Parts: sequence; structure tokens; C-alpha cells
Amino acid sequence: MGKQLHENICEERLFSSIFNKHSKDLHNFLYYKFGELLNPKDKVQEAFVKLWENCSKVSPDKAKSFVFTTANNLMLNETAHQKVVLRHQQTKPKMYTNESPEFLMQESEYHDKLQKALANLTEAQRVAFMMNRVEGKRFKEIAALLDISTKAVEKRIYGALEKLRKDIKEL
Amino acid sequence: MNREILISKWLDNDLNDQELEAFKALEDYDDLVNLNQGLQAFKVDAYNTSEELDTVLSTIKSNKKQSTHWFKPFMRIAAILAVCFSLYYYTTTLDTTITTEFAQKTTIELPDTSSVSLNAKSLLTFNKKGWKHNREVELNGEAFFKVAKGSSFKVKTKTGLVTVYGTQFNVKQWDHYFEVICYEGLVGVTYNSQETKLNSGDSFLIIDGKIIAKEKENRSEPSWLNNESTFKSAPYKAVIAEFERQYGVHITLMNIDSDQLFTGSFAHDNIDVAIKAITLPLRVTYSKTNHTIILKRE
Repeated sequence: MGKQLHENICEERLFSSIFNKHSKDLHNFLYYKFGELLNPKDKVQEAFVKLWENCSKVSPDKAKSFVFTTANNLMLNETAHQKVVLRHQQTKPKMYTNESPEFLMQESEYHDKLQKALANLTEAQRVAFMMNRVEGKRFKEIAALLDISTKAVEKRIYGALEKLRKDIKEL
Repeated sequence: MNREILISKWLDNDLNDQELEAFKALEDYDDLVNLNQGLQAFKVDAYNTSEELDTVLSTIKSNKKQSTHWFKPFMRIAAILAVCFSLYYYTTTLDTTITTEFAQKTTIELPDTSSVSLNAKSLLTFNKKGWKHNREVELNGEAFFKVAKGSSFKVKTKTGLVTVYGTQFNVKQWDHYFEVICYEGLVGVTYNSQETKLNSGDSFLIIDGKIIAKEKENRSEPSWLNNESTFKSAPYKAVIAEFERQYGVHITLMNIDSDQLFTGSFAHDNIDVAIKAITLPLRVTYSKTNHTIILKRE
């Protein structure tokens, strides 16, 4: 830890290792939070470029929260910008296309319902829930990622599950 | 076991065998598994970390170039502006200098309509900027001032400082000769950090560092303004120097005491009359060749 104090993100090696460590999580976070239409990949890039520009001011252990906050703000700027054109609910996670030809009608209906139900979750719920269910992350990991307590993560995920099931039944 | 806890543990992949059995026995087990499978379809696109890293690194490098792209021309423009500004500043705050040559007289107007008449071979320097607050001129030679009303007016010379309280006065400062004559109002002369006040008609004269008393001046302006140099008990060398300045000639003295006193005057417009005027009273002969005049005592 003591050694870290003297390290500088401006060094390309360290910068790359930080990128490798956090960029995927950041990308998934943005994707589940804001959907695909706002180009989460671009935002990840922008956030890391900003990290590079501020590399002398940000210490390595603050780098993660720096890129998360930056990317989140970039997204929020854009959603505010695009609000008129496109409502947030429409930017929900898009269905992944790996359909085999024999997709059943029923399944496709179920997907539609699920899609709508996911869109209805709060951002916080959706991020935690999808990271847990789809990315297979454990509560503890998510808690570390979002800088919240494990208990809060559990609450969000369980709440999301209940809400999803309720919505699907109602639809 | 509580249903809620079971589901939470399932979500966190934290069920042991026994709990798993209990979980499977829940009535909504199928429902949950179904939902879970459905959710997998919403998985995010594959994210290629190393590819993204390359893109970021190349962006960073091109940005670096760009930043110098705008920085360089910006610095150039800034440099040009700085040069222009300093030139402008330099020229506007530059002192104005007025000089007169041999046999030349000139009258100039200062920014506040005060006027200065410069006698031959003199130099006057003043600064237009801040003239209102700081009326100060530097003089080397002889000049007659008519000062407009306003804040104090100062004339700096090598020998002494003349502060003006009133209006009209003459300052004469040559190598060993410093003379101030006040024609109107009140003038202060600071010499060796001592101030002497001159009322109208008073004069202040220093020759070779000695203060010399002079009688009252009763003319209203110096005679040189009327193209005549007048001397009262002035050392002969001062007269000769003035003659040289007025006519642009060189005078050599032979056998003559340059410190003897001379009272008289010479005109500025006729050299033959003028040379007689300064030689006859002392019984001195002269010979003139081009720009050199030799004065000789038999």
C-alpha cells in the first residue's frame, strides 16, 4: 500500500492495468443503467481519457471511483440532452440476439414482458440485479463496485426480483 | 427456513446442499429458474477489454498531438500580442525630447498650454503621459518658461531643481553656469538640497559652484527672446560660449583671461556687429576665418 502512494497513473503500464481491471465492470454498469443507445463503450473510453488527462491528480486507489463518477456524469449529461427526443424507458437493455430459429411464440412473449418489466425497475435496482443475475457477480463484489453496503445490494436485488415477478404476472 | 432468506441466498449463490433442497421445494422454484433463464438473453454484448484499451491509448496519444497543435499557434499569437503591446506601451510612455541646434531658437507648447522657448543648442525632455499629475521637464541649456496655472511645475537640471509656483521664468544651465531669473510670480530653486525662493525680478546664479548675488532684473522677459544676449558681470567664457552657440562658430582665446567679467550684449542676427560688441569693450582684436574666430589681446 505504501508503495502505491508513489505510483502515478501517468505511467502507461499502471494505466493499462487499471483499465483492464475496471473497464469491463464500468461498461456493464453503464449498460445496465442506461441501456445501449447511449453508447456505454464510448463513455468508458471518454472516462478513461479523462482519467489520463488528470493522471497526476488522481491517486491509483481513487481511479476506480473517478472513472465511475465521470462516466456516470457523461451519461447523465447526455440523457439530459436527449430527454426530449427519447425517453429513458426506451433505452432499456436490448434483447440479446442469439435466437435459434425454433424460438417459440410463448418465449418471445415472455421476453417482451421481461423487457418491459426490466425497464420499469429503478436504475439502481436494475444495475445491481443484472450484475448479479447475468454477470454472475456476488453481493460483496457488487457492493464494492457501487460503493454501498452488502445489505443494500441484497435489498436492491431482492426488491428487483419481487418487482419483476409481480410485473410479469400483471402484464 | 424462511422463503425470503432462501431466495436471497440463491441470488448470492450461497446455498448449501440442504438449503438447495429446501429452495427447490419452494412453490415458485420453476418460476424463478424460468425467469433466470430468460434474463440471460439480456446479457450485454461481449466487451473486448484489450481492444478498448488500444482505442483509449491511441486516443490519448492523438489528443496529446492535438493539444500541442492548438498550444503552439496560441503561444505565437500571444507572443505577437505581447510584442505589440510592449511597443505601444513603450512609445506612448516615451519621453518627448526637443533639441535646438546652433543659432536655432524654438518655442514649444506643453500639453497644458504652458509654453517654453528654447535658446540655441539646448535640450528639453518631458513626458506627455501623466502630464496633469506630474508636470516635470528636464532641461539642458537655456529656456524661458511661461507656465499655465495648475499643479506644481518642475524643471530638472544637472545643477539644481526649479519648482514653479508662479508663471514666467528663465533657466540657464551650462557646464559651469546655472542661472534662474524669475520674471513674474514665484519660483523656488533647489540647489544642494536647499531651496531659494525667487520673487519676480530676482535671479539666482551659480558659477563654478559659487552662488553669486545679482541685482534686480527689471525686464519682463529675457533678452534672448528678442535675439540679443545680455550679460551683467558675467565671466567672459560664458559670453564666448553663448556666442559660439548663437553663431555656430568656434572661438579661440589667446592671451585673454576667460574669467574676467563682462557687461554688455550682442545681437544674434549680425555676426560682424556682434563680434565687435564683445571685443571692443575689452580692447581685443579678432581675426575671422570661416567658422573659427581667434581673439587676441595685443
